[in-house]
This record gives sequence, C-alpha cells and structure tokens, in this order.
Amino acid sequence: MKNFYRKVAFGLGPKDKVPSDPLEWATSQLNDIPEFSWKGKILPEKALRNYYRDYVYGDRKVLRKKFKNDKDGYKREKNKLRHVTGQKFWWNLELCIRHSEALKSETPVLAKLWYFWGNHFAISEKDFLAQYTTGAYQREVIRANMNQTFEKMVQEATVAWTMIHHLDNNDNVGPKSQEAQWAKEKGRKVGVNENHARELLELHTVSPECGYTQEDVIQMAYVMSGWRPNWGKKRLETGDVHFNGEYHQPGSKRILGKKYKSGRKSLSAVITDLVNHPSCREFIAMKLCRYFITDNPTKEMMEPIIKAWEKSDGFLPDVHKAALEVAFNYSEKYNKFQNPENWLLIMSKMSDVELIPTPKLMDLYTLGLKPTHEQRSLEYLLRELGHHPYLARQPNGWSDISEDWMSPELLIRRLVYAKEAYYKKNRKSQTNEFYEEMVEKNYDNPNEILKTINQQGDLSNRHVILFNLPETLKS
Amino acid sequence: MKISRRNFLKGSATTLFLAGFNFPVLANTTKKKNLVIIMLRGGMDGLCAVPIIDDKNFEKRRKDLILDKTIKLNSDFALHPKLKNFHNLWLNNLGAIVHATNIPYTKRSHFDGQNLMETGGHIPYAIKTGWLGRGMKLAELKGDGLALALPMPLLLRGIPSNDNFYPSKKKLPRTELLQLLKSIYADKSEHDLANMMEIIANRSMMSGGGTSMSRKNSSLALKAGLELKKINGPRVAVFEVDGFDTHAAQGGVNGSHSDSLIEMDSIFKSLEKGLGSEIENTLVLTLTEFGRTIEQNGGRGTEHGYGSAIFMAGGLLKQSQVYSDWPGLKKKELFEGRDLNSTIDARSIYASAMSTVFEIDFKRIQKEVFWGDDLQNLSDKLFKV
Repeated sequence: MKNFYRKVAFGLGPKDKVPSDPLEWATSQLNDIPEFSWKGKILPEKALRNYYRDYVYGDRKVLRKKFKNDKDGYKREKNKLRHVTGQKFWWNLELCIRHSEALKSETPVLAKLWYFWGNHFAISEKDFLAQYTTGAYQREVIRANMNQTFEKMVQEATVAWTMIHHLDNNDNVGPKSQEAQWAKEKGRKVGVNENHARELLELHTVSPECGYTQEDVIQMAYVMSGWRPNWGKKRLETGDVHFNGEYHQPGSKRILGKKYKSGRKSLSAVITDLVNHPSCREFIAMKLCRYFITDNPTKEMMEPIIKAWEKSDGFLPDVHKAALEVAFNYSEKYNKFQNPENWLLIMSKMSDVELIPTPKLMDLYTLGLKPTHEQRSLEYLLRELGHHPYLARQPNGWSDISEDWMSPELLIRRLVYAKEAYYKKNRKSQTNEFYEEMVEKNYDNPNEILKTINQQGDLSNRHVILFNLPETLKS
Repeated sequence: MKISRRNFLKGSATTLFLAGFNFPVLANTTKKKNLVIIMLRGGMDGLCAVPIIDDKNFEKRRKDLILDKTIKLNSDFALHPKLKNFHNLWLNNLGAIVHATNIPYTKRSHFDGQNLMETGGHIPYAIKTGWLGRGMKLAELKGDGLALALPMPLLLRGIPSNDNFYPSKKKLPRTELLQLLKSIYADKSEHDLANMMEIIANRSMMSGGGTSMSRKNSSLALKAGLELKKINGPRVAVFEVDGFDTHAAQGGVNGSHSDSLIEMDSIFKSLEKGLGSEIENTLVLTLTEFGRTIEQNGGRGTEHGYGSAIFMAGGLLKQSQVYSDWPGLKKKELFEGRDLNSTIDARSIYASAMSTVFEIDFKRIQKEVFWGDDLQNLSDKLFKV
C-alpha cells in the first residue's frame, strides 16, 4: 500500500507525517488550485512570449540580413541575442516552479496530475517554444483549469498561443476563404493544415477509438481555420490568438455526423460535443489508469472514472478523485514504472535531495548574461535523464509505457544521477538512521529492502541501489 | 549538363521475377551484414552536397552559394570539397549517391517531415513505430539495434531491446554493484531490467580501457564501428546529425551547411576505421526530411524544399556512381516551381537496403514495413545482392 504515496505523488519526505487515511490525504489535495509554492519571480506567459518575439524578430529580420556573408559573426551575435532574451534561463525558472510543486508544496498529488495534463496537452519540441512559453502555458492554461471541467481545459488549451503555434494552425487557411482568394491572385498557394485538427481529435479528446474519418479531420480543420495569432510586422507570429474571419472556410461543416454553422462560435460548439462523446471519457480514463496503475488498463479500472465523469459532467476534481481511488484499490497488485522526471522527484523528496536552486539564486539572474551552471542545473539534468518535460519528441507527449523507457543508456543515467544526487544531500541526511526511517515510511517490505541495501558498506552505494530497486523504479 | 532522363533508375523486370522465388542462396550466407542510418536533421541541401555541373539555371539562382573547388565525380555531378572522407570511399568503390530523391512528403515542415522520415508513413504522427524498427522486427533482429543517441529514436521503435550509447560524463558505478542489481532484478523476475543491466555491466567492463567517452559523432562512430564489427555485436546503428536548417549564412565552402556536412563526413571516416575489413559487409545510408530551395534567400541561406540526395557507403554497394532520374532545374521542371523534384521515393532505397542487409524478400518488406506502397526494388541495381 505504501507504494501509493509514490504512485500518486512522490513518496513521503523526512518531514511528512504518515497519513492516517492515505486516500483522504490524496483526494483532499484536489479541490483548489493553491498559489505556487515557488517564492521567486514568476512571469506571465505574455511577457515570456514577448521575449520570444524579440528573439525571433532579431534573428529573422535583423541578424540574418546583417551577417549574410559572415557565419561566425552571425553565430556570435545570435548567441548574444539568446542571452538578451533569456533563452537559456526561462525554462530553468519554469522547472523550478514546476518541481517546487512536487517537493515543497502541500499538494504533491495535484502536481503529479498537473504533469499528466501538461503531457496530455503536450507542446513538443518545436522552434524555441520550450525555452520561452511552454512552462508558462502549462501554468496558466493547464494547471489553472485543474479545478474546472475538462471541457474548459480543452477550450482554453485549443486556442492557447503556444498550442496554436505548436500545431501549425496559423498555416490552416480555408481553401475558399477570402485569404485563399487573395493568395491565388498573387500566385501563392494556401490551404488547410490538418495538424491541429487531427490532434484535437486524436490526442486531446475522442481518440481514434471513436471512429472519425479523414473527412472529419478535414472538416475539423475547416472549423479551426481562422484561429491564429494576430500577425504584426514587429511581433510577427507572436500576437495574441484571435479569430480572423478572412481565413475561415465559409459554409457549414459536418463532424461525426453533426452539422455546424460557419464562424467564430463553431469551434467552441464542436469542442463541447467532442468532450461529451463517450470515447472521450473512456480515452481519458484509460490514460489516467495508464499513468498511475499499469501499461494495460482493464475495463474494471476505467469504469469508476467514467462514472464519476458522467455524474459530474467532466468536473476534473471529481474525475481525479475517482482515478486516485482506483489507483489506491489496485496499489497492492500493480506497480507502475515511473518516468525519469517522476523518478527524480521521488528520489529527491524521499531522501531530501536539494534539487531545486534557491529563489534567491534564480532571481539574481540578469538578462544578457549566460545563466550560471547552478541556474541551469535542472534543465541540464532532465535532458541527461532523457526526459525534459518541455521537449517531448512528438505532440503525443512523452510515453506512459514502460518499454519506451527501457534502454541501457536511460538506465545508466538513473545510476549515475542517483549517485550525484547523494552528494547534493545535506550531511544530516547522509546517515544510516535517515535511510532506515525513510525505508520504513515508504515501503511495505522495509526489512527486505534494508537487508539488500545494507550489503553495501558505502552509504552512497546504498542510495544508488535503493533508488534503482524494482520497488522504486516501479511504484 | 549532359545527364538525361534516359539514365533511369528502375527496378527491372528481372528483379521482380527473381524476387518472386525465394532462392536458397539468400538464406545461406553466413556473413554478418550491417546497416547504418545517419539521420540528417533540418533538411540536407542535396545541391550543396552534390552540385550539378554546368547548369545555368542552378548558377543563376544560387549566385552567392556556388562552391569553389568542388570535386568532380562524373561529367554531371561534383562533390562538396569538404567531403574528403566520402571522396576516399568513392575512389575505392565504397561510396555512391542517389540524387533527386526524397520521402513522399512535400509540405516543408521539419516537424512533420522528420516524423515521416522516421515512420516512413504518409500522415504525420499517424504511425508510432519506425520503418527500421519494423524491418528489424520482420527480420527478427531483437536486441540487434544500436542508437548513438538519447532517447531512443522513433526510427528504431517497433522492436524491443535495442541498445543505445550516448555516454554520460559521469562514471558508472562499480561492476559489482551492477551485478548485484542484475541479480536482484532476476530474482524479482524483472527480465527486461535484468537484460538491460547485463548490457550495462558488459559495457562498463569494455569502457574501462580508456575508450573515449566523448559524444562527438566521430567518437560515437568509432565506437559503433567496433561494435558492428563483432560477430555477436549489433547489426543496425543509427546516428543523428543536426544543423542542416540553414536559413542564413549557409555560405559556400566554409558556410554553416558545410559544418554539418563535415560532421556527417566524420562519421564515414570513423565508421570505416572502427569496422576495418567489415566495411565490406556494411551499408551506410543517410536520411533527411527534405532538401532546400534552389533559389537563395535574402540572408544567403535557403528555405525548406523537397528533393534531396542520399549518401551511401560501404562494401555492399555495387559501385561508385551517382544514380538519378534527373528531373532538371528549369522552372517548369521544379517542384511547385521552386524545388528540386524527387523522382525516386527514398523509401525504395531504404526498403532495398533492408532487403539486401537483412536478407529478406523485398516484397515482404514492401508489404509489411511500407503497407504495400508502390516502391521499386533497387537492390540489384545499387547493392551486391
């Protein structure tokens, strides 16, 4: 049962009391969205997007022209531009905010669910979104909606600037729109870009299980045409997302057999129907079970989550509570392989590793300078572990399937960074007693585990073994 | 430009006829053959790497990007002057090029294009496995793949237990500790973990002898070459080279496109060194998402295009040659009036390569890896079958 603390959160830290009612401990964390526990600076997405604007404009409109014959000059000035716009800093700051929720907040369960949703509505590696706005998008669009309905989260994520840019909806132009006509007169070719439409169906809501066709995808793209950043000469593609009727495909559309009128309101209407489709709740229930419980969820596991969804109209706190209850009920029988980031946080929480740079250190950063090694430590570490949450390779995010994390190099990283982490611990937690207490608190078979790790004389080796035992890798 | 469209690259009727019969000779070889794929991310400019000679259309559109002192390969094509190692292979009949080829993707997004070059599919993100992984599965090559990258590239997905090597700068724990973990995994019936730990423990013994732990592609390729050479070593290796997206200062011989090409060239050199005589039983192919526009842009770079080229190396090649069904560079011959066209589906080359190296009937690969798509069997044209 104690694996439940690692399964739905990050285990119990040295200062955490053992909850008398574990399920109550978990479910009580989900009703409200508290302030961030990070005490340093937090920038709004809009401000970060403006840094992105300055970077893109400076590179594309200034440097490329100025240094067209000077490769080295171009590289040098571009590097300066990176630092002036904080390219190597912001995502580290975002990771501090993100990881504080796991390690320092009163609501680690909420944090683990936040990571789930951030990955569900993934922004994968594209342009420099990760360095500037992905983290902020996950704060302002994803986390902020975790006490709302799933529908509200989809509505907001779909027209979020980062998502629209990520999935190319700025290139999605109705072939019979005003813009398409103008383009044709000028000899340019424009048309639909199905990317975002397809992912809205496939990854974000109903999934292919619902049986939509390629024609549904095209019709969805028509509905989405016109939702794009407000373009400007200086801000380029970084303006706020708005509906521009000149790009919108005229005429009614038909998706999954239902007709929708043309215009601004149609996207919201389609989303309402998508989130109420039975395939949508089944898909989300399956993914929640896959994240917490097993690679192959059963119908019995999914059922209570689907019921809670139907009863509450997709109210996320209720859906989350149902998912946690299922995870609790199956915790004896199933252990879930933890992805590298969650594993790192489990290790840091349980064994008191000072993972996150202090707010003071982060707030010392000055634009224009290269961030220090310490200020960049989280971003570097996650890439070394092979799991940077803002750098998923594809729009379907990082995998929830164990097999995808099984490779020699990925496991080597867990060995060497477990060792590194040991030396980041404070002296007081580098004792036998500390480890005994931690194992007692967090595992159902403490005697067996202590016997295994105590074969090693060296405490740092005990640490490496403990955090690479099957009981820890799978929780 | 003397090349004409008569120089077709087509699977002949004979090939198809032969492929229908499963000659026992295919199954009887005992040599271990290796396949290496080098992914060139960002859109490799086939016309910068392998420029056409004496083409007015080309020279006019690319005034500032024309290279000096290119290496002449034949009457029609030259080689980028910095590709010295590839040129050496060429001189020894170990290097060849397919020109004006690409995967069937024409929309010019890196994002989608790189997904499709790895899955081999038509719709971005629709397929969750790589064509190489599926080919290896068909050939039952479980545990025979090596990625010189972290995480595991999509290209190799589709078969479990691939190895990867992309060394951490940190030291591995002692071998005894690794052995202990391995036995714990085995005791708990965690077979996948035990398996991985076995590979790691062996690796730690190997790397004790001061082998380079650098992540430079040239070092990784030396390591890979040494592994591929072993009779029980991997049979497939995958590399990644970034930086081909040169919108600005692409430059000539010393431009930024050259830097990435030089990195690719260093892989050829180190692989050859590591493989030693086993280069004879190896085939190396490059893979990119698209080529670049013929016209230079305002920043003396190039934009995303369509047709590109594939570099091929190794002793399984028939001969040094530039293979192409050359489409021409006149405005009307260009794809959408701006890009070098692709006249050969690049997947035909990859399918043919897998057929040759994995010794599997081309038709089975076509059907089971590429969904029966219309691909040509070029095995007997390009490779020693």
